[in-house]
Amino acid sequence: MSQHDHTPHLPRRKRSARLSLAMMGASAFGLTACGQPPQEEQITGVDFDQPRSFQSVEECVAENVYTRSACEDAYEASLEEVPRFNTLEACEAEHGEGACTAPTEEQAQAATGNTGGSWFMPAMMGYMVGSMMSNTNRGRSFERVYQEPIYRNRQNQGNWNTATNQATQRVTQRNNAMRSSVATSQRSGFGSRSSARGGWGS
Amino acid sequence: MLRIDIPERNEWKALAHELGFHFHTIEGEPYWKEDAYYQFTLEQVERDIEAPTEAIHEMCMELVDKVCHSNALMQRLALPEHMWDSIHHSWRSGQPHLYGRMDFAYSGDGPAKLLELNYDTPTSLYEAGFFQWVWLEQAIAQGILPRHADQYNSIQERLINAMAHLGDRIDARTLYFSCIKENDEERATVHYLQDVAVQAGLKAPFIFMEDIGLRPGAEHFVDLDDQPIQAIFKLYPWEEMADDAFGEAIPQLNTHWFEPPWKAVLSNKGILPLLWEHFEGHPNLLPAFFETPQSPPLPAGWVRKPFFSREGSNIELVTPAGHRESVDGPYTDSPWIRQAYHPMPRFGNNHALVGSWVVGDRACGMGIREDVGRITKDSSCFVPHAIV
Repeated sequence: MSQHDHTPHLPRRKRSARLSLAMMGASAFGLTACGQPPQEEQITGVDFDQPRSFQSVEECVAENVYTRSACEDAYEASLEEVPRFNTLEACEAEHGEGACTAPTEEQAQAATGNTGGSWFMPAMMGYMVGSMMSNTNRGRSFERVYQEPIYRNRQNQGNWNTATNQATQRVTQRNNAMRSSVATSQRSGFGSRSSARGGWGS
Repeated sequence: MLRIDIPERNEWKALAHELGFHFHTIEGEPYWKEDAYYQFTLEQVERDIEAPTEAIHEMCMELVDKVCHSNALMQRLALPEHMWDSIHHSWRSGQPHLYGRMDFAYSGDGPAKLLELNYDTPTSLYEAGFFQWVWLEQAIAQGILPRHADQYNSIQERLINAMAHLGDRIDARTLYFSCIKENDEERATVHYLQDVAVQAGLKAPFIFMEDIGLRPGAEHFVDLDDQPIQAIFKLYPWEEMADDAFGEAIPQLNTHWFEPPWKAVLSNKGILPLLWEHFEGHPNLLPAFFETPQSPPLPAGWVRKPFFSREGSNIELVTPAGHRESVDGPYTDSPWIRQAYHPMPRFGNNHALVGSWVVGDRACGMGIREDVGRITKDSSCFVPHAIV
């Protein structure tokens, strides 16, 4: 990431730099924002790769997509955004009992630049890493890693996935006869009453 | 905040068709309008829309937590009892949500006032997240807007990030997408979300709600090939699903729904009086109360809304001057709330409504709808905005 510092400065803006459609419409469509001064080297296109989320630096490194320093940079940047509290109670009041922790020395170092100080934060729920490729009109490319927390830390959240979260009320008494190969699926159990109301968007 | 007349882009209708925006005109009436745009300052966007949206979103999450731990509150919101466990479990287990939209009355001056939340089945997403962005880029390129013009809009980029987050947590990175038959706008919105999902690296098959199958003995709802549906996005409201023929099967099966069941707490206008109860006096909230059998006839300066309604249906209001306005509709079978009337800003003959988008837990963009009436409906026009 030694090129990192040479990346031309992008002006602060409230809109995305580049959007595209993958499958909608007649042809693949992509447009890039303008707004760079014409004389200097300018960014002519920005591509994002598919962002991924990780629970830890080690998990990010193990994925073998980003370098260790990229994983660490993104982790540090997300730590800087984690809310900090003076007391455990204040943190738990906002994030729930048992959801907070004191930072490790490394986390304190990453978040504040020094290992001292006593503060508390919600336990990290993972962070996003993606890379962003900027192409310029002089044919140069700069890659940089971006990170962004999408979801805030909340009590009991962050480790959700479909494999570990099954329905609360299991069908405990399955009728084996109904599992035979002749069983057919019922349809029209959703939405069939809705013609009277037309649509559901709001 | 200003409404400024400007020229339309050359050939924009052809471009709209090319980009899958076939409902720019609905039943002969314009839906997308670009002969004007709403102009904001950066300060108006950041101070008056973005920051309050994030603050209200956090207040809503706090209330969801309260409701999920209280049968009394579940009952007060008329949430069906067979869904309580699913709602509670989806929240406790941290099932992520995708998006929502808050509707504000905002004139450019003073705090934006929350009129309602659309947190379960919000639409106008493609228009706000994509077509509006294309409009800005092209309007700059064609000299219609100055080069420094900007827009409050990272909606699509954040949707892609949120989808990637879901994809990492869903079996085989496969998320089905669904809506009901015979509604082109909703199908287009779902198509757009499928596009976003594909860009985030997910597999995104489509199935109509009516085609979802229930198979005896199966642990999931099934698709048309009787294959299990592990996870599915539905542009179809929870209150309807719960009452549908398959509603009772939802808590018993392992199919994961997006938006998650806990969004039923927020897609319900009963959340407005609860917000007022818990955060009374917040500058972005309007006084709101549950209607009771003892409530007097609707007085001047109040609005009456059913718990469950879409597109402005069954809303009745009386302005402080006594002018009465109402929209008919089919949503007469749920309880009602009353909310203090707050005038929508008027630009010429148009009343403007700010739709402020939340993706994941972040405020990230807005879309403006306008209507000659005081109640925004499905026929209200979408007009783009720019920060200049």
